[in-house]
Amino acid sequence: MLESFIPALYLAFSPEVILYVAIGVFMGVTLGAIPGLSGDMAIAILLPIVFFLEPAAALGLLTGIYKGGMFGGSISAISFGVPGTPGSAATAIDGYQAKLKGYPNKALMTALYSSVIGDTTSDFVLIFLALPLAIVALTFGPIEFFALYAFSLLLISALTKGKVAKGVAMAALGILLAMIGRDPMGGSLRLTFGIPELAGGLALIPVLVGIFAVSELIIQLSKAWMDRVTRIIDDTKQKADSLLGDYDASKDKLTFREFRATMKATWIGTTMGTLIGALPGAGSSLAAFISYGLAQRFSSNGKEFGKGSLEGVAAAEAGNSATSGSTLIPLFAFGIPGSATAALFGAAFILMGMTPGPRLIYDHTEVIYALFLILIYANLINLGLSQFLLPFYSKIAMIKSRILLPIVCVLAILGTFAAGNSVIDVWVLLFAGLLGVVLRVYNFPLAPLILGFIVAPGAERALRQSLLIGRGDWMHLLSSPIAIGLYTVAAIMILTFTLVLREKK
Amino acid sequence: MFHNIPTRKRAVATAVAAMVAIAPTLGAASPLSNDPLRLVIPFGPGGGSDITARVLSATAPEFCGPRIDVVSMSGAAGLEAVNFVRNAEPNGHTLLVTDYGPIVTSGYVDDVDWSHDDWQPVMNFTEWLPTVYTRPDHPIQTIEDWVAAAEADPGSITFGHASPLGIVHLPLVLFESATGLENIHVPTSGGGETRSLIMGGHIDLGMTLPASIASEVAAGELTALGVFAAERSAALPDTPTFREAGYDVVLPAWLMIIATSDVPAETVEFLQDCFMEALASPTAVAMSNRVNAGIEPMNSEDSTVLYQATVESIGNILRDIGEID
Repeated sequence: MLESFIPALYLAFSPEVILYVAIGVFMGVTLGAIPGLSGDMAIAILLPIVFFLEPAAALGLLTGIYKGGMFGGSISAISFGVPGTPGSAATAIDGYQAKLKGYPNKALMTALYSSVIGDTTSDFVLIFLALPLAIVALTFGPIEFFALYAFSLLLISALTKGKVAKGVAMAALGILLAMIGRDPMGGSLRLTFGIPELAGGLALIPVLVGIFAVSELIIQLSKAWMDRVTRIIDDTKQKADSLLGDYDASKDKLTFREFRATMKATWIGTTMGTLIGALPGAGSSLAAFISYGLAQRFSSNGKEFGKGSLEGVAAAEAGNSATSGSTLIPLFAFGIPGSATAALFGAAFILMGMTPGPRLIYDHTEVIYALFLILIYANLINLGLSQFLLPFYSKIAMIKSRILLPIVCVLAILGTFAAGNSVIDVWVLLFAGLLGVVLRVYNFPLAPLILGFIVAPGAERALRQSLLIGRGDWMHLLSSPIAIGLYTVAAIMILTFTLVLREKK
Repeated sequence: MFHNIPTRKRAVATAVAAMVAIAPTLGAASPLSNDPLRLVIPFGPGGGSDITARVLSATAPEFCGPRIDVVSMSGAAGLEAVNFVRNAEPNGHTLLVTDYGPIVTSGYVDDVDWSHDDWQPVMNFTEWLPTVYTRPDHPIQTIEDWVAAAEADPGSITFGHASPLGIVHLPLVLFESATGLENIHVPTSGGGETRSLIMGGHIDLGMTLPASIASEVAAGELTALGVFAAERSAALPDTPTFREAGYDVVLPAWLMIIATSDVPAETVEFLQDCFMEALASPTAVAMSNRVNAGIEPMNSEDSTVLYQATVESIGNILRDIGEID
């Protein structure tokens, strides 16, 4: 082991590789911050580069993009309320509220620290616990996955205090939207109303960006317009605003006390993210939402969640970033790509002539050790570089909305189009925006809708696979101890918390 | 003649000479403009089609002239890519790289405004051989075991495959209609999910393509039962074909570059020539071997024969199972 470790050290810490990692992080953070664009997309576009670079340099670049993108998504989630990547949808809930209260920098710093903590932990788990954890992950079949999805839906829908019915309704609406398109099991078309372009269903990015971002943009624009109308009518004197409004950067610094207060949420997110990331097919957005839900339940300030709580930001961000190391576990242990990112890393390995799977570490020990080292130190580069960039990004967030909104709007449309090269996606984006406006006006929570939309395809597949395997017997869903455990925990949590909440009233 | 020229100048001179040498093959005859060529794939990035197309995009510009981009459009279950190529100008710059699913199968089962005759193959990269596999500690380890178990208790064996009627599902349908056996079909989100369900013991059998399981089969971590092909797969030399076991079920999946039929014949011929030349170059061969793509280029004429045969056989299968009339 040691004899290949030394060359791996040289490989990983050569100036060229460090430079590529830094370039990757910078690209990832910036692209992730643009709504609709994600690190995955950049990796997909840059895949052919591995034909021309040394393996360590290529892997360094891809790793940098991945990690940067993972955090970058939270920048636009916090700054504009627009999740830059699907993983950061949960970050937007509290992050954007924090920004509206005038402390975007605190929220961004919290996101950065929790992201790096979650990511680093997950990388160590990948390096030292890949095989045992992968074997546990394989015990998750359709029955267990359905229980996990049901658990997460219950958790999030019931989160919206005082409006549980609205939460459940929104989750149901999300599931309904996700059912548009081709039936994943039978292949027949559902709810497409004869529109051929809907055969592939609604894509995640336009729905996500539309519901969260475009709706916000429309509301802001109409507010600005209303203000203008009232101003003209009242003929009040116009205040000479600076470009940045009245944002005071000196008051917006994350204190050590505040940082320490978010640690519990960060560790909840890290644990859940690492575990869920190792499950093939579960994904970073699910991890973020479950972490957020659990952190709220176990926080002593649960009431603050949804109103700009830094703990909420920390849990969501640690949750999605902690999937980044562990999502590679099934790839390394069995050659199974557990997520879109893992599939792209798998393709990169194949393009370099390395077959993903258990033999990978024996056949290409040096490169894989170098990758492990890169995975770890890329977090530090991410931390340093992002810390340097954030003051600029958080100032961008405070630019007056009449300047910022059109830019964000254009970026959202461009990013959505670029993600799938599809004009239909842009229409979906705009319609989702209008739906979002209606829902916001009537005070419906948006997070359950998004979670329902994200979880539904997997949940439906898991349910129908379980029923196929169990020959139509619903009791088959209870034939696994893991599933029974998940249902029990969900039931206990919902019972206790509804009772506790009742008493408090 | 170059004796007195210093090394650097000599290099430049050689380069110029080389360019002049290539120029006639490009310049005069090329029906292409300087705009980039687009290879549109109806799947997400990172899969077999993407990787194979990238071997071509990395090597062919030298032979064809313009730059070559690989564009991934997985929207509307791949039909968006098909429509994009269909609606592009018929100048040979926009081409589809696909297996038979989005063209042949979709042409039958989906509501599309084109027919199979509106397309013409430019060339074929390779033939993928659908392979049935399982985990090594499963009681079913051979084709005979499978048939015996399915006859003993019909409809008891769970079989995982990617999207219904796709290239790793239709062979199972064909096998069942040839033998009368019944299995429980469990659609999955793709090869990765099929494999984790098999390795985790949640389902019995699954279907995939040889390249994705070859190293695991060699290491004894997965067992390949049989290949739905006329001959054994080079990646899995020890795995019998179903024909060897006495079941004449052969349904390989090609990966073709396809143009619309209104692209002029000389353009198609030019593309065929420069693509085949590029794929025969040492760089392309080395790349193909490195990524296990198994590229064995087939020219436009032979590809067209194969295409038409596939259109007919897929049509028969779909009529047989009542998918179309």
